[in-house]
Amino acid sequence: MLFLISILNYSTKRRAPLTLLMVFVLTFVFSLSSSLGTDWPVRESEFSSKFGPLLTTACMDCHVGAEASGGLALDHFKTATSITKERGTFEKVLKRLEIGDMPPDDAEPLDPKDREALIAWMDSLLHDVDCGKEPNPGAVTIRRLTKYEYRNTLRDILGVDYAKAEEFPGDDVGYGFDNIGDVLNLPPLLMEKYINAAEEISSTAIKLPEPGPSISNNYPLERFKLERGGRVTATEILMYSNTSIEFEENAPWSGVFHLELVASGTKVRNIGPEIAVAVDDKVIARKIVNAPEGKDETFDIPLRMKAGKHTIKIGFVNDESSKDENGKGEDRNLNIFVIRLYGSKSQPPLDPTTVPESHRRIVIATPSAYVSNEEALQKVISPLIVYLYRRPVPAAETKRIIDLAAKAIDEGESYEGGIQLAIQAMLLSPNFLFKIEEPRRADANDFPFVNDFELATRISYFLWSSSPDKELFTLAWSKKLRDPQVLAQQIKRMLNDPRSATFIENFAGQWLTLRKLDNFEPNANLFPTWNSDVRELARQETLMFVSDVFRGNQSVLELLDADYTYLNDRLAKFYGVPGVRGNDFQKVSLASQPRRGILTHASILAVTSNPTRTSPVKRGRFVLDNILNQPPPPPPPGVPELEKAELTGSLRQQIEQHRANPACAGCHKLMDPLGLALENYDAVGLWRTKDRGEPIDATGVLPSGENVRHAGDLIKVLRTEHAEEFTRCLVEKLMIYSLGRGLEYYDKCAVDQIMAMAEKSDYRFYTLLYGIIQSDPFQRKGYRE
Amino acid sequence: MVALPMLEAMSPAVARAATESAPMRMLFMNTPNGAHMPDWTPAEKGANYSLPKTLKALEPYREYVSVISGLTLDGARAHGDGGGDHARSGASFLTGSHPRKTDGTDIQNSVSVDQVAAQNNGHLTRFASLELGLQGSAQAGNCDSGYSCSYSSNMSWRNSTSPLAKEVNPAAVFDRIFGSENVADAAQAKASRNSQRKSVLDFVLEDANRIHKDVSAADRRKMDEYLYAIRDVEKRLTHSDKLKVGEDGVPNFPRPAGIPREFSDHCKLMMDMTAIALQTDSTRIATFMLLNEGSNRPYPEIGVSEGHHDVSHHGKSEDKQAKVQKINQFHVEHLAYLVGLLAGVQEQGKSMLENTMFVYGSGISDGDRHNHDDLPILLIGKAGGRIKRGSHFGFDKDTPLCNLYVWMLSQVGVKVASFGDSNGSLKIS
Repeated sequence: MLFLISILNYSTKRRAPLTLLMVFVLTFVFSLSSSLGTDWPVRESEFSSKFGPLLTTACMDCHVGAEASGGLALDHFKTATSITKERGTFEKVLKRLEIGDMPPDDAEPLDPKDREALIAWMDSLLHDVDCGKEPNPGAVTIRRLTKYEYRNTLRDILGVDYAKAEEFPGDDVGYGFDNIGDVLNLPPLLMEKYINAAEEISSTAIKLPEPGPSISNNYPLERFKLERGGRVTATEILMYSNTSIEFEENAPWSGVFHLELVASGTKVRNIGPEIAVAVDDKVIARKIVNAPEGKDETFDIPLRMKAGKHTIKIGFVNDESSKDENGKGEDRNLNIFVIRLYGSKSQPPLDPTTVPESHRRIVIATPSAYVSNEEALQKVISPLIVYLYRRPVPAAETKRIIDLAAKAIDEGESYEGGIQLAIQAMLLSPNFLFKIEEPRRADANDFPFVNDFELATRISYFLWSSSPDKELFTLAWSKKLRDPQVLAQQIKRMLNDPRSATFIENFAGQWLTLRKLDNFEPNANLFPTWNSDVRELARQETLMFVSDVFRGNQSVLELLDADYTYLNDRLAKFYGVPGVRGNDFQKVSLASQPRRGILTHASILAVTSNPTRTSPVKRGRFVLDNILNQPPPPPPPGVPELEKAELTGSLRQQIEQHRANPACAGCHKLMDPLGLALENYDAVGLWRTKDRGEPIDATGVLPSGENVRHAGDLIKVLRTEHAEEFTRCLVEKLMIYSLGRGLEYYDKCAVDQIMAMAEKSDYRFYTLLYGIIQSDPFQRKGYRE
Repeated sequence: MVALPMLEAMSPAVARAATESAPMRMLFMNTPNGAHMPDWTPAEKGANYSLPKTLKALEPYREYVSVISGLTLDGARAHGDGGGDHARSGASFLTGSHPRKTDGTDIQNSVSVDQVAAQNNGHLTRFASLELGLQGSAQAGNCDSGYSCSYSSNMSWRNSTSPLAKEVNPAAVFDRIFGSENVADAAQAKASRNSQRKSVLDFVLEDANRIHKDVSAADRRKMDEYLYAIRDVEKRLTHSDKLKVGEDGVPNFPRPAGIPREFSDHCKLMMDMTAIALQTDSTRIATFMLLNEGSNRPYPEIGVSEGHHDVSHHGKSEDKQAKVQKINQFHVEHLAYLVGLLAGVQEQGKSMLENTMFVYGSGISDGDRHNHDDLPILLIGKAGGRIKRGSHFGFDKDTPLCNLYVWMLSQVGVKVASFGDSNGSLKIS
């Protein structure tokens, strides 16, 4: 019954608990959903004749006005329309009505029939969408690359695998996934790591010429003489009026040298001292010390000099004082602490045969007598920036990067060093770090398509966790990606590409919570055969199996009850499956084994267990959350166990005692039988018939009414009776993962359409993907409600 | 008068010692899942209390240890949002606000007390604050009853929407504080590298500003985060140098190899880093999440093979409560390690603890009831002499934890009328 409801009523998350009068609700919901969309006059009359008064009696003793109980006032809702203006508030109200703890025990009780009717009416009001009109496809908050995406993207574009990306601070999880735009933050800590990464990656990708001869002359300050207006000590040159120092330097070669100055100063009208630097009496740089008084600032001034002797002069040029006789007021002075000249002889561009592959791929042009730095940089940067920004880049934008690199080269950096710098700038640009999409115009009254490059990007990060490749770009350029045949071909091509392995890892790893295996440490005395090797092999088994179903375009229902899996010798030994030889994973029949599908994989059985024992509650919850998409409501606030005696007896008895408490029973009736049916698998997933000497009792009655004797029955029921919920669950998880946002009530129509396609194709995986990618939420831009 | 610039930038602790008084340090450390209160709360009130079983490891530093009983974290309560006490108390422990229940869309908490202090005083040190921890963010699934994992994995919040991720690798903390490059190379290339870095950062700032102009509100929030991060990092990259190991006044500590496997080693190494950061005045404000709120880590090393969260729902089982107590005590023993490090740092002839305010505790009291009143809270250090001797302070039921934060902020010169749900300043001095 319970499962049936959710077929009719999309909103499984707001599903009513078991205690509903099912027949009533079914007819009610059905009649509403069948009348496509919302008939407002009917709603309003239902509100004023029945449900408005019902809300008043049930809630308005307490939830009124400024002093409303719990800060929740409900008396300003005078129409059905006004309720939909504050969905959040009424989602709460609905949830409390469903859980059953409102109205509270000490208030006027709400007639059960009225409660059910109210729940059904509000559920429909809040969640039914008119699929006839164009529903809002929603908006995605710009998504920062996750650490996995960052690493893959740079591996694919630059050919550099940056393993240290693993150490980026975690991408927090929302809606079960780590790629949710709203949740992906960019704290300064991560920016620091991005800066280090950009420097390391660019220097791995691009080789620098061997440094030529170099000089570094640190001038002892005390050798300088000031004619006037200052004072010289071993640690500091103080200039308190316009004055200068000079020295002679013999440049050993022609080229760019650097003058490093460390200085500080006092300010007048908030303007710091200005330093002028001249070479052979020609001023080539002016710098103002902006650092706060008392703090020093370092200046790096490039000087282009021909080989031979030169005179370098450093002056203070804007002395000013407004001090009175008592020394009150402001006085601008300059202090210099370090004077250093350094430089290295520039080297010709590298011979392409002696550089790494990534270097050859990127540096496709070098300057020469006939090719200027800018022209060569243009050739190198233009293709690169398109891949890194995932879109066509206007000439002016590319020019900014080229100018950055050209300026550095002009100041003495090598050509390759200039390219490194350009790469650093691109890798730190928000255009690279975020998947930026053109915003929908705020005054738009339609839902425009995302552009072709945005679409290519959405697809490639969905299926590869990486940037679009040349083929996708080409299709985007020629605007062919929306052609159904082309799209179908691309899905097939992309899934058969090795890059889709990260899709399986990231999606299945999170959907099936396999990533949590890292933190699962079962008690070594109780489960001696489990170790970190087995953990990795068990994870591998599930990933290979899911990969087989997904990439092989099988029915996704195979995930539930396939009679085969993937094992190697060590994992087979752990399970006790005979006849598997060798270290390589191979397809193994389970015909003679008590296992079918993912729910009997050690990985999932372990990750839903406690360190010392199984947890039927966690396993049941896992099935509700990730297989049937019916997450139970959270436990009621104010924990009633407090008043109760300690639970005793077998695990099953303890669970039953817990369920005797009516506050807990509602949800645990849903979770427990699903988990208890899996009791023949211990906390690391091994088959058992006894627990602590007692025979296992895996029997139970599922919330939907079926009797099950053991896991086999449960799995059969799931496959035969709940294929639709399972597929819908998978589709919704895939949509969250692909869009990078949670699903909203207005996504119902898209999911319905995908489900209709899926059913026609026997739930084959490619159809699911195709349906998702061609759906409006994936293809179009809407807004956030 | 200008101090020697390089020296001041590199080892402020040394330069400062001659002229200024020692600065006040602010630390916050959480322990997840509440505590077994009967072995936490001292029997006597006042300065002559004796440390109960769970807190015994702090005995050597007893004069610096205050136990503050009776405080409440109202923001962590349900207020109609149902379950999720762990996520809420993690997020609200330092903010005092009631985080919005969401799995992602419209995350909302508020600024945390450490960040209020950092925003006022952070410019005095190379790092305005440090956020440390031993456990990265959750990798998959639900963290707690429909709350995004941001809430249970982050206790420092720069503003209502931007949590500050924590560093869990001691080696990475080391690298942030100490320069690793060899000195000769550094001298050669540093100046031009800094100017190149600056040109790159200026470049990307302009990119972000362009994007910022025409995006939606949610996107703009992301760009704001980007802009803030760039500016914050730029300050450090271009305005001050990293410390060099072995230079005057800097402790000679070997670079950690990475993240040790054992919890205890990991924890102590991270505490070493915390102490070094404070000692070198690289920062004066730090938060340290021992574990993410709701952690279900088992502790086989002390004979607790069940998960912490599982046993914290003890259902009055004596055995489980004893295990909770064991874990509490284990955590406090590690706390004592850090307190010992700080106690050992002498500044102007006194222990650093004289000028420290170190809050340790949990936003949950009893892990089984999930109640948020009568929290387990310690305040370690004498706050510059405002606390004469560590005492057991008892406050009336429902006194906001935030009152303590208001008091602490006033000790570092940040006068706020209120913070979180405070209704005054705690009277503890």
